[in-house]
Amino acid sequence: MKRLCLIFLVSMLTLTGCWDQRQFKNIKLALSIGVDQGSNGEIVKTVSVPTVSGGGDGGQINETIQTLSTDGHTMLEARDKIDRMLAHSFNPSKMEVVILGEDIAKKDIYPILDNYYRNPNSNLNAHLAIAEGEAKDVLSFKGGGEARISEYLKGILDGAAAASRTTGENLQMICAELVEDGEDFTVPLIKLNEDDNTIKFNGLGLMSGDRYSGVKLSAEQAPLLMLMMGNKGRVAQLTKKVNEHQKEEILDYITVEVMKYNKDLKIHPSEEEVRVDIVLDLDVRVIEYPHDHLVSEKVIDDLNGKLKETLTTEAEEIFSVLQEGNSDVFAIGRKIQAYHPKVWEKLDWEEMYPEVQFNPEINVTIQQHGIVN
Amino acid sequence: MGFFRDLFQREQRTDRRIADESPEPQEPSTRNLSKNIDYILYALKRTEDLKVRILKKGDAALLYFEPLVDQEKVQASIFTPIEIGKVDSIHEIPNAKETRNLEEAVNSLLRGHAIYIEDDNRRISQFNVTSVFNRNVDEPANEKVVRGAHDGFVENIMVNINLVRKRIEHRDLKVKFYRVGKKTNTNLAILYMEGIADPEVILKMEERIKSIDADKVQSPGYIEEFIEDSAWSPFPQMLNTERPDRVVANLMEGRVALFTEGSPTSLIAPSTFFMFYQAPDDYNTRWYTGTFIRLIRLASFLIAIGLPALYIAIVSFHFEVIPDDLIAPIKSSINEIAYPPVFEALVMVVIIELIRESGIRLPSPVGQTIGIVGGLVIGDAVVRAGLVSNVMVIVIALTAISSFVVPSNELSTTLRLLTFPLIGLSATLGFVGLIFGFLFIAVHLTKLESFGVPYFAPIAPLRLTDLKDTFVRLPIFMLKTRPKDAHPLNDKAIEDSRKWKKNEQQSKKP
Repeated sequence: MKRLCLIFLVSMLTLTGCWDQRQFKNIKLALSIGVDQGSNGEIVKTVSVPTVSGGGDGGQINETIQTLSTDGHTMLEARDKIDRMLAHSFNPSKMEVVILGEDIAKKDIYPILDNYYRNPNSNLNAHLAIAEGEAKDVLSFKGGGEARISEYLKGILDGAAAASRTTGENLQMICAELVEDGEDFTVPLIKLNEDDNTIKFNGLGLMSGDRYSGVKLSAEQAPLLMLMMGNKGRVAQLTKKVNEHQKEEILDYITVEVMKYNKDLKIHPSEEEVRVDIVLDLDVRVIEYPHDHLVSEKVIDDLNGKLKETLTTEAEEIFSVLQEGNSDVFAIGRKIQAYHPKVWEKLDWEEMYPEVQFNPEINVTIQQHGIVN
Repeated sequence: MGFFRDLFQREQRTDRRIADESPEPQEPSTRNLSKNIDYILYALKRTEDLKVRILKKGDAALLYFEPLVDQEKVQASIFTPIEIGKVDSIHEIPNAKETRNLEEAVNSLLRGHAIYIEDDNRRISQFNVTSVFNRNVDEPANEKVVRGAHDGFVENIMVNINLVRKRIEHRDLKVKFYRVGKKTNTNLAILYMEGIADPEVILKMEERIKSIDADKVQSPGYIEEFIEDSAWSPFPQMLNTERPDRVVANLMEGRVALFTEGSPTSLIAPSTFFMFYQAPDDYNTRWYTGTFIRLIRLASFLIAIGLPALYIAIVSFHFEVIPDDLIAPIKSSINEIAYPPVFEALVMVVIIELIRESGIRLPSPVGQTIGIVGGLVIGDAVVRAGLVSNVMVIVIALTAISSFVVPSNELSTTLRLLTFPLIGLSATLGFVGLIFGFLFIAVHLTKLESFGVPYFAPIAPLRLTDLKDTFVRLPIFMLKTRPKDAHPLNDKAIEDSRKWKKNEQQSKKP
């Protein structure tokens, strides 16, 4: 009996062989994936697939990038078609960026992402971005100094998150916001600039429910929104106009870096109107002020006041844009649902949100001004 | 099995008689000289190196094995006393051992003694004139230390016991001799501290030594396999060492040391897994350093058995876990390799073992050449030829280095063997297989016993206070109690040895 068990065990281990091996060398990794709207309602999928060679004898690693594009009714059908064009088998489990074309993003985006959420192997750590124009053009872009388009795009999006321009959310984090009511999110927008041969981060696209509203916040407005959402990256830098008609134009501006911030969001809901007070206290460090002479407290108080005024106005603009896009990125609806369920039941949030009264107040205190006065 | 073991142990507990002399064959000597000599010659198969010197004009004879005795000693202890006239007859020489048993005389001849027989006299005088060739007590080549004692055991059991006794000048150090091997008649000694070592362990040891019934017992390696608990386990259950200081430290923990004639290696039992990771260096350096080095050593255990398996599991099953920036280098290095990673790994491991094995046998200048040819040339060429990827070379080289970190050669070979099943498991089942493999090893280690003592102590059974000298090495004055795993009778090893500090502080106060 013991011997029989041993024979079974040994044959189980040896005869099975390697039937479910997925050899790393036998796959083609798609590192960036783009999805566009096709002309007849189907989707157009574009992938960039790097092929590396020459690393064997310690020499230079040669890398060639294939960019393939195909159409299909579903994402997996398109993947299947791409697989036919590739040596070895196609594998998206190390994808770094998913780019949606503007047109397809304006439809429901969940069906596109569904297969990534369903497959345990997929990399939910990937970034999601919307391309202004076609995703295919972005992925076919060559240049930018980086070897791979995926690296370039990932670098842009990581940099934007570090500079507090985006939330830095990946597919996994977006998933909950995608399916929840009363909570929306922003998606970074990227734009291919063919004139000067670059791709750039071009603001935040506002999602309304599960589709792109088409309304966007500019890249300059993004840091303030991130601060109000409590989503500061590594640094948050604001450049604002504080003087008028100095000798040179450059003297009108101040650049500050946020050291510490404190936000306070209060919701006063009722059935007729919803009022939201946002108080944001910023402790900032002046990192550029060509006008100089930050000696007296009066000058600094003066600057504090001017910054407060400018930023508060800007915050109001941001809120009006958010309401225009009907994009509840502050999850006000969800908070009402959680803390005031009775009010929520009577509200039609889609209708109500554009009517919400936002009262932002941004207080700025200059704490440091570098090593010169 | 447990029932039988209990039965076995109970029997031992009742039988407390130790080292009962088995009756030696008796053959009384006669008064006839030629009959005596004939008997001895017959017993020794008329071997031609037995020298019979006829003295007193045929009335007496001196017998000895020519290769075994030292002629100068014969002169000094037998003839000089006669010549200077101190005694009248050789029988009267006081350092002679007397017997009337011819069988005993034969045995003492084989030990290198000279025997003297006279006609008309049944007395047989035996003189210890054995010639001894000893090498110096040099530091063992495979257990070198940076700081600490630089002497090591030699092939002579008496010298070895001398080295231990010099270090433990205490009446509790007890030595017991046994003879094993029916033909080789090898001298074997066990040493332990009476009052610290567990009598049950000693009983077990004796029982097992006595049950050895073989013609030849050559080295501790033989004895180890005769007396260890689980001969089928890959893990050594007795610690091999050639260092007196290591033996002394283990004796003081209540363990038993076993020496054999003709081998510089001593066996220490009962031993635990973590003993193989303790080196004398740990206690000679500052305790921070000792702790750090010991942690590195224990990490080397995981690397040595698990790294190739982990790498294979990753590149054959779970490449999702490779960091984004490593994808291109790893993929480019394995893309053009013809063989699957398992095969690569096996080829590399076999190459490394070949280099190692050839390096041991060859004289050291040639050995170095082999190291360079093997390590650099083959390593580089094999990558250039596209047989093995350079990541795999890194992995296997790291594994080989890690396996040599263990202070014990026995465990090092075990680790290198354990790599293979883990490679197989991870090549067939990926991470699942790897985890199963580690689980099997953990279960086995937990179940293993060395002389009735848990092998994986103090982890299983867990004893937190004994961890002080396991993963870390706390300062010596904090290692107050002996580890519990060897069941020492006396727990306390160190009393408060830093009383002076309190005294100094008190004297400062007023």
